[in-house]
Amino acid sequence: MRFSQDQFLTYSEWLFGDLDRWGGLWVGLIIAISLCFLGFAVSYLIALARSGPTEGFYAVAKVIRSFFSTDLPATSSRRIGAIAKLAFKEAIRRRVLVALAVFVVIIMFGGWFLDPKSPNPASLYISFVVTTTNYLVLLLALFLSTSSLPQEIKSRTIYTIVTKPVRPLEIFIGRVVGFGLVGTLILVVLGVMSYLFVVRGMRHEHEVAQIDGKGATGETTFDRSHKHTFRLGPDGVGVTNEVQSHRHSVRRIGNSDRYEVGPPQGYLGARIPVFGKLQFTDGDGQLANGGISVGYESNYHQWIEGASLMSAIYTFSQVTESAFPNGLQLEMNLGAFRTYKSDIITGVRGTIVLRNPDPQAEIESDRIPFIVQEYQVDRRVIPQTVRGRKKDQSMDLDIFRDIAPNGKLEVIIRCEDNGQYFGMAAGNVSLHAGDMPFWWNFTKGYISIWLQMIIVICFGVMFSTFLSGPVAIVATISFLVLGFFGGLASEIISKQREGGGPVESMIRIFTQSGAITELDLGSSILENAIKNVDEVIMRSMASLASALPNFNDLGTSDFLAYGVNLFGGLLGRHITMTVGYFLITCVISYFFLKTREMAA
Amino acid sequence: MSVVAAPEEKPTVAASQPEVVIETRNLSKTYRDFWGRQKVQALKALDIEVRRGEIFGLLGPNGSGKSTTIKLVLGLLFPTSGHAFVFGKEAGDVSKNERIGYLPEESYLYKFLNAEETLDFYGRLFDMPAKVRRERTEALIQMVGLQRARRRQLKEYSKGMTRRIGLAQALINEPDLLILDEPTTGLDPIGSREMKDLILRLREEGKTILMCSHQLADVEDVCDRIAILHQGELKEMGRVDSLLKIQDITEVHAKGLSDDAKREIAAVIEKHGGSVVQIDNPTTTMEDLFLEIVRESEQRPGHRGSGN
Repeated sequence: MRFSQDQFLTYSEWLFGDLDRWGGLWVGLIIAISLCFLGFAVSYLIALARSGPTEGFYAVAKVIRSFFSTDLPATSSRRIGAIAKLAFKEAIRRRVLVALAVFVVIIMFGGWFLDPKSPNPASLYISFVVTTTNYLVLLLALFLSTSSLPQEIKSRTIYTIVTKPVRPLEIFIGRVVGFGLVGTLILVVLGVMSYLFVVRGMRHEHEVAQIDGKGATGETTFDRSHKHTFRLGPDGVGVTNEVQSHRHSVRRIGNSDRYEVGPPQGYLGARIPVFGKLQFTDGDGQLANGGISVGYESNYHQWIEGASLMSAIYTFSQVTESAFPNGLQLEMNLGAFRTYKSDIITGVRGTIVLRNPDPQAEIESDRIPFIVQEYQVDRRVIPQTVRGRKKDQSMDLDIFRDIAPNGKLEVIIRCEDNGQYFGMAAGNVSLHAGDMPFWWNFTKGYISIWLQMIIVICFGVMFSTFLSGPVAIVATISFLVLGFFGGLASEIISKQREGGGPVESMIRIFTQSGAITELDLGSSILENAIKNVDEVIMRSMASLASALPNFNDLGTSDFLAYGVNLFGGLLGRHITMTVGYFLITCVISYFFLKTREMAA
Repeated sequence: MSVVAAPEEKPTVAASQPEVVIETRNLSKTYRDFWGRQKVQALKALDIEVRRGEIFGLLGPNGSGKSTTIKLVLGLLFPTSGHAFVFGKEAGDVSKNERIGYLPEESYLYKFLNAEETLDFYGRLFDMPAKVRRERTEALIQMVGLQRARRRQLKEYSKGMTRRIGLAQALINEPDLLILDEPTTGLDPIGSREMKDLILRLREEGKTILMCSHQLADVEDVCDRIAILHQGELKEMGRVDSLLKIQDITEVHAKGLSDDAKREIAAVIEKHGGSVVQIDNPTTTMEDLFLEIVRESEQRPGHRGSGN
């Protein structure tokens, strides 16, 4: 699993930002303020056209005043409850529960198409159910939320609502709550079904197929497209090797020659990774801004060259004996870039050095060799005592007492093969600090889906306050898609992507010129004009997109599938964003409902 | 024919006065299409006042602007120009709805709820606590006679039953002002009679009622004052009894007079060239009045003779 730099931010880092990055709070405020200005400008223009400059201003001011002076204070939870209850009943009446049946059918038949030979079947099963649930729930939320209000306006039942002392905000919030409850109900049922599907899908049994005469090593039967080998200790207890990301325990029953193979272990988990801060040294062994680029290979990695002084230094904090009682469990998922083929079977060689961050101490371990097999996660346990040097004196070192006495530890990684490169990223070396129960991680993943659902409902209901049903669906989808691809616009602006904006790319298509070449139209004025137009379009697209929810950014389902504990900070961000979008859509819906003629 | 109203007080423009429940000033509504082009002028400069405790009828043929007026008063539509005030508040003010009960033309209710759920739902919209809602629901179901159908979904209701539950929901908040859009449409004669009796009873309780209808007999039976609209214009407004009086004919009915007295009266009338049967004003029917106004209006568009 690849982590983006963005995902490592703690909640407060994300919220308040730093010099290089705007915090989520400020971005939210900017969005809110610009929406206020934009909303005021647009509504004033409409009012101006309707009733002239002073009357128009008065009308707009009146609506804004009534929001704060009467409608907001008069909002009643009982009315919201009534509307929510009605929305709930309406949704049930419209047979949303059919979605559950659809899901059952999908997982019943979908199970056939999941590759049982996969090296990590749990990941396959989890991403299958999580993705299916996610799309199903979002789709349901989309249709429910966008069709309800237009339906009521069409059937005029809204007449009996708005002629009661019902505030526009209550109409919006009531619907969000009602549909949110329906969605929650469905999501809980889907979640339980998914959980059982995954847990039961992973369950399988082996028996001992053969065992050598001494009863020490043996092989299990071939079930579910795999078999294990195992080794038993003198007490008749042992563990199989790891196949398809799991093991079984094996036990001799009494003194007989019968054996028992236990249930699979290690399929479903939620590792808690600890990430370090990544630094590089250049070819002279000095600290550098980054690694080197190997061309258009991967934007994710930065590369260090083999058999040179280049290295990647990961600085971890809070490395204590209590956090890692069984030694340091290191997980590496490095990229490898080969300038020559070499021995493709054995992979590219590298070394790990553990070092005390204090340069005065001059304490570091000996080089621990390892081999990078591309696309495989290397999990290794470094025992608490390692051989190393202290001021050029060779001795046994205790990781927690000698190398990381105040919890800070540097892990230095070098590539040892001349002419080969290692790809490094902040997320691809981590320490494994225990596990979360799988069910809890699963729940967090579903909370994330729930939050996405609430955002979709908010946008759906908001659009339905001024658009008819089908148009509101299209508008909601467009917003989500735009948010999804929002990164593209900013990549084009920052020239990370070649080919220019819409006008330039259009010209390139017609003139059949490549994206890498300079735009050549024979007139620099024309070229500049086109680039400026594109810049304006792309900048407005990017700023619009940055205001929209981007579910992709959070990538929470990957965490479940790869068995990594979903970061609390990420979930916190998601919750904050959901609250933010709820508030924004609340206010927008208020103004649309307030200024809409329900009987028109 | 002249129209005489019987104003109890000076007709001042005083929405603040508690006596005036609904007041419209120069209320106009023009429907426009998407491009802002004028489609139809539904209401032209309407000035009416509905006073407390009266039953005020809006009368007019289809498309005359009755429903538009009601929707403007309720805030379902926004006026193109002019103002509508209810209890002294602008019609767009949601808080006025606390004291209003509205029976729409067709009962736009939720078909998947039953009578109890419907009344409970609308009671919640008035922020009524559960106990009060239960009491009101019970009382209203008794009042409109839906005891037997209280647990049935509204989609199973007949037209008359739908009307009744519609009226019940309009009364859930014990409103001071009831706005009834075509209250008797679709009711059989008995249902219609019951509805009218109910309206009169509600007036006895001190409620103000604004209703619109094209059922002339209903209006004649229950309304204290009426406004007749045609093509968006106010044609006639006044007390029903005075509107129906023919002012230039005198009828005298007398009984128990002595012959002398009779001769005396006869002499007086003969002196003036007439003969006496009754001393009273004969009445026309509402239907005649209505048809006359519509005919006249079609011949001579514009505001018809004065009155208020």
